Amino acid sequence: MEVYEVFRRAGHKDPYEHCGAVTAPDPEMALMMAKECFLRRGEGEHLWVARRSDIHAFSGDPAIDIVADKSYRHPSGYRDVVAKRERAIARARELEAS
Amino acid sequence: MTSALVPLLLALGDDELVLGHRHSEWTGWAPHIEEDVAFSSIAQDEIGHAAAYYALASKHLDRTPDEIAFGRSPGEYRNALVCERPNGDWAFTLARHWFYDHAEELRLGSLEGSSDPALAGLATKMRREERYHLLHADMWLKRLAHGPMEGRSKLVEALGNAYADALALFDDIEGEDQALKEGLMTTSSAELRARYQTSITEHLDSVGLSIDAAPHDAEFVASSSGDLIETGENGTSSSRPESSGGRDGVHTKDFDELWEVMTLRYREDPKATW
Amino acid sequence: MTYDEKLQAFNDHIAAGGKVEAEDWMPDDYRKGVLKFIEMHANSEIMGALPEREVLPSAPTLKRKMSLCAKIQDEVGHAQLLYRVAEDLGKPRDAMVSDLVNGRSKFHNVFHYPVRHWGDAALIGWLIDGAALVTQASLRDSSYAPYTRVLKRICAEEQLHLRHGEDITLELASGSEHQRWMFQDALDRWWLAIIHFFGPRSNPEKDLLLRWKVKTETNENLRQEFLDRYVPKILELGFTIPAPVPYLDEASGHWLINDEDIDWEPLEGIKRNDGPETARRLAQRKAMYDDHRWVRDAMTEPVGV
Repeated sequence: MEVYEVFRRAGHKDPYEHCGAVTAPDPEMALMMAKECFLRRGEGEHLWVARRSDIHAFSGDPAIDIVADKSYRHPSGYRDVVAKRERAIARARELEAS
Repeated sequence: MTSALVPLLLALGDDELVLGHRHSEWTGWAPHIEEDVAFSSIAQDEIGHAAAYYALASKHLDRTPDEIAFGRSPGEYRNALVCERPNGDWAFTLARHWFYDHAEELRLGSLEGSSDPALAGLATKMRREERYHLLHADMWLKRLAHGPMEGRSKLVEALGNAYADALALFDDIEGEDQALKEGLMTTSSAELRARYQTSITEHLDSVGLSIDAAPHDAEFVASSSGDLIETGENGTSSSRPESSGGRDGVHTKDFDELWEVMTLRYREDPKATW
Repeated sequence: MTYDEKLQAFNDHIAAGGKVEAEDWMPDDYRKGVLKFIEMHANSEIMGALPEREVLPSAPTLKRKMSLCAKIQDEVGHAQLLYRVAEDLGKPRDAMVSDLVNGRSKFHNVFHYPVRHWGDAALIGWLIDGAALVTQASLRDSSYAPYTRVLKRICAEEQLHLRHGEDITLELASGSEHQRWMFQDALDRWWLAIIHFFGPRSNPEKDLLLRWKVKTETNENLRQEFLDRYVPKILELGFTIPAPVPYLDEASGHWLINDEDIDWEPLEGIKRNDGPETARRLAQRKAMYDDHRWVRDAMTEPVGV
C-alpha cells in the first residue's frame, strides 16, 4: 500500500488543487477511492492522483525570508496612485497656465 | 556613531549592489528561461540587500540610500573586484555566483554576532534568504561538474578565472582593526579567508574538482575522474590592478563602464524624483 | 465517428461555449492555429524583455532598479508559462526558440522598436502593457482552456505592471520639464506602434481563430477599448497625442481614430521581421542562445555522481 495525494479540478477555468490523500495498492484503485472520497458531491470534474513518494519538496524550513522591500511585487505597493495622479495633473495645469 | 561602521556597511553594500547589477544584466536573455527567472530573483535580492546596508549607513551619513548607491564617484566604491567583472559567459557567472554566495554565507555568519544590533539583525535575515542562493549555486556546481564535458570544462576554467578575485572578497576592510576592537566585526577578514579556503576546497573536492590554492595562479584539476584540466594563463586575474582586490577603491576599467551606465540617469538630475 | 461527424461535434461544442483541453480531439487547423497564436504570444513576451532590459542598467533609484528587474522577470515568466502550454500542442520549446531566433516565427510589432531613455520605461510599462492587458483580458474566455488558465496569472501580473508603469509615468509627469519631455518623447515615438498593436480591422468571415472562439474580440473593438480607457488619462496629464490623433465623439462618448488616419505602412516591414530593431535584437538573442547550448545540454539528464 502507498499514499497517493489527490488533486481535483472544478472546471476548465481552474487549476488542479490538492484536496487530500488516499492509501491504495495501485493508481487504479487510488483513483476509484479518490472519486468516492472527493467528488461525490460533484466538487469537481477531473481528478489526479500522484504517489506521495514521487513528490519532491525543499527540505528544512521552506520559507524564503524576504529581506528587502519588495512591495513593488504587489498591488498594495502602488496604493498611492490617486494622490500621485492628482499631483501630476496639478503639475500639468501649472505648466499650462505659465 | 561609530566611525568604523560606515566603511564596513559600504563595503558590504557595494559588493551587493555591483554584483546585483551584473546579475541583472542577464535579465531577459539568460541561456534558459527558468534560469532567467531565477537569476532575476537573485539580482533583486542582492540589490535589495545593498539597499538595506545603505539604509543603515544613511543614518550615519547625511545621504539617502539612493545617493549612496548612485551619487558617489567610482573611487568611493569599496566593492571587491570579483563583483564588477563582466558577466562573460554563463560559466563565469555561475562560478562567481558560487564563490560569492559561499563567501557571503561565512561573512554573514560572523556578522550575526556584531555589536551593532541593526547590522546583526540584518545579517540574520539576509542569511536566511541567502540559503536559497546557496542551494541554487551548489546545484549548478554539482550539475556541471558531473555533466557533459563541454559544460564541465567551461566551469573548471571559470572557477580558475574567478578564484583569486574571490579570495580578495576577504581583503581587509577600511578601519577593520577598529571594527574588530568595537566588536562590529567578530572575525578578521584574514581569518574568514582561511576558513573560506578550507570550506570551498572541501566542497569542490566533494564534486570531484580540486584546487591548487596558490591565489594568483589558481589552477583547477579534475581529481577523481582522472582527467586533467589546466586553466590557461589568461584568466581575469591577470588584469587586476596592482595588489588591489577593490576594497581600497581602486577598480578596473570594467567598473568605470559599469559606473557610467549605472549612475547615468541619476547623475542627469540628482534632485529629481523618479 | 467519421472525421466530418467529429468536426461537426467539435464545432457544436465550441458554438455552445465549450472548452478544449490539450488531450481532447481537435481538428488539425484548430491545433495549428492555437499553437501558432500562443507561440507568437510566448515569443512576444520573451522578445518584450529585450527593449526594457536596455534601460534596466540605468534605472535611476534602487527601488526602480529592483522593480523594473522584477517586471521584466515577470515577462520572461509569462514566456515560460506560454511555451509550456504551446509545447503540449506538439512543438518542443527548443524548436520554438530556434524558430524565433532564426527569424522563422513572429512576435508583436511593438518589440521591434528602439528604446532611448527612462521615458520608454514609463511608456512601455503603462501603455504597452495596458494595450496588452486589454487584449489578454479578452482572451481569458478563449475556447482553449489551458491558455485561459495561464492567462489568469498573466493578466494579474500585467495589471501590476500597469501600476508600475503608471507610477513611473506619474513621477515623470510631476517632475521637471526634462522629465516631462521624456514621457512626451516616448509617446511621440510609440503611439502609432500602439495603434498598430491591435492589428487592422478583423474579418470574422475569414478569421478561423475568431470563428473557433480562440480569440473572442475583434481587433477594432480591442483598440476602441484601449482608446476609451487611456486617451483621457494621457490628456489629463497634459501630454499631446501625436498622429493618428483620437477625437471625442460626443454622441457616443467614444474616443475615435478614423481608419484612414492610420498609416499602416510601417507595419509592413515588421510583418516581414524587418523592423528598426528586429535584426539586432534577434541577433543578440541568437548569439546568447547558440553560445550557451552547452547549458541546456547539461540540463537533459539527472546528475550523475
